Amino acid sequence: MNRVTKYLYVGYTAVRSNLAYFGEVLARVLFLGVVLYIFLQLWRLTYSETGAEQLGGFTLAQMLWYLAITESIVLSAPQMTLEIDADVRTGAIAVHLLRPLSYPLYRLWTTLGERAVRFAVNLAVASGVALVFVGPIPISAKGLAIFACAVPLAFVLDFTAYFVIGLSAFWLENTTGLTLIYSRVAMIFGGMLLPMELFPERLKRAVEWLPFASVVYGPARLFIHPDAAFLGGLLVRQAIAAGLLAVFAAAVYAAAVRRIHAHGG
Amino acid sequence: MRRLINYAGLVAAYVRLNFSAQLEYRAAFVSQVVAMFVNDFFWVGFWILYFTRFPVLRGWDVRDVITVWAVATAGFGIAYAVFGNAWQLAALIVRGELDGWMLYPRALLPHMLLGRTVATALGDALFGYAVYVYFVRPDAAHLGLFAVLTLTTAVLFVGFGVLTGSLAFYLGNSASLSEQWRFAMVTFSTYPATVFQGLVKIVLFTAIPALFINLYPVEALRNLSLGDTGIATLGALAVLVVGTAVFHHGLRRYESGNLVAMRE
Repeated sequence: MNRVTKYLYVGYTAVRSNLAYFGEVLARVLFLGVVLYIFLQLWRLTYSETGAEQLGGFTLAQMLWYLAITESIVLSAPQMTLEIDADVRTGAIAVHLLRPLSYPLYRLWTTLGERAVRFAVNLAVASGVALVFVGPIPISAKGLAIFACAVPLAFVLDFTAYFVIGLSAFWLENTTGLTLIYSRVAMIFGGMLLPMELFPERLKRAVEWLPFASVVYGPARLFIHPDAAFLGGLLVRQAIAAGLLAVFAAAVYAAAVRRIHAHGG
Repeated sequence: MRRLINYAGLVAAYVRLNFSAQLEYRAAFVSQVVAMFVNDFFWVGFWILYFTRFPVLRGWDVRDVITVWAVATAGFGIAYAVFGNAWQLAALIVRGELDGWMLYPRALLPHMLLGRTVATALGDALFGYAVYVYFVRPDAAHLGLFAVLTLTTAVLFVGFGVLTGSLAFYLGNSASLSEQWRFAMVTFSTYPATVFQGLVKIVLFTAIPALFINLYPVEALRNLSLGDTGIATLGALAVLVVGTAVFHHGLRRYESGNLVAMRE
């Protein structure tokens, strides 16, 4: 196997592994349905109280579809930091280092494989819920293609952030706190609950250049309002953020590996 | 009365032991408590953003939603900081780990629930009180009533944990299902009750009794109303009674895990 195909195979294995436990994946989407139902009620009331047809450029139907996409993205994140934490704590990471695989790339492709399955299931369920509650919105093949282009780099960018948090297990007793804080920051500043068009202007200007918006808001906005120019800008922001975070992750990983002491056995 | 005092002593002893155990990993414990505090703060941040844009939602303003969050998080925190095993009851039943608890000369359920604390729950409890005092700035009467309502909410969460966890007696490995049910309860109870209308309100009085957290406590604190406090209390006690009854009914179906284990 050459250097690329072995990682593709790692990703493919992660996909198959998740499909083997499809019932477990499905059980998790019940929560997604509950959340979307609550948001529908909240936004239906908000639109009726304000008497507005559109808020921040979104109709009620578009708002629910936007939230369906953001929820699908955020809730598809695997609990990768827990696995890295366990690898570090149990010493299993030393075994990984013996394999002819880069540990960061192994983690990247495993996460992408797992996330692909979760995202597809979330998207299917969330679309079903949105269709039932508010009906369809205009979607073209070109629009779907633009949306599809925005998702992969968003997942890679999110991975690099979670990977750095997972590696902090080399220095911290527990990484669950950092993981929780990151996911909440991504949720609020990423626009999962509220599109950025509805943020106060100063806050919007401050957070639209942060990586969280490139992971959550950017792809979801493109689903509602497909726009090639916006996609171009988003891809550039995603690539810059992922590149910078990858350099940082590489430095943290190098420092972490120097702390590993293997004693045979 | 003597039994109540005796049980209060047991609760105090377990709380002391559980927190001592957590403090053995002090940095991990503190980081989890702080992270949960920050997590809750971000949710309140969302509501502040929302109400900055839309100041009133069918008669509710940002203070009401902060009150909902304060009551829900403080009640949740107290419940699972003290009765932590209510959070993972389904897993205990499935793994056959009730065996050890049955050997004690104590009533099984109230004793076993004390056996563990959820580290992050302390962050929730601290957050609930901090956010209520800081944002709502209550007088002594409101603060006293708030403390009472956090206790009724804690009773409700414990009862609900027992109820959902007891599914495992009937369905086998239902940890995932009971977790989803609990998450639904937590989610519904942190949104303004005014958002929900029609048939779903029946669900929120019964299968997911969130209205005893996000409606009556808020009304009680708005008007210093003993009537609403009474309804919140009765609702919480009803959930506890149903949860306890389902647990004891299910217990007849329990089969030993035949585990060889030792508790210190």
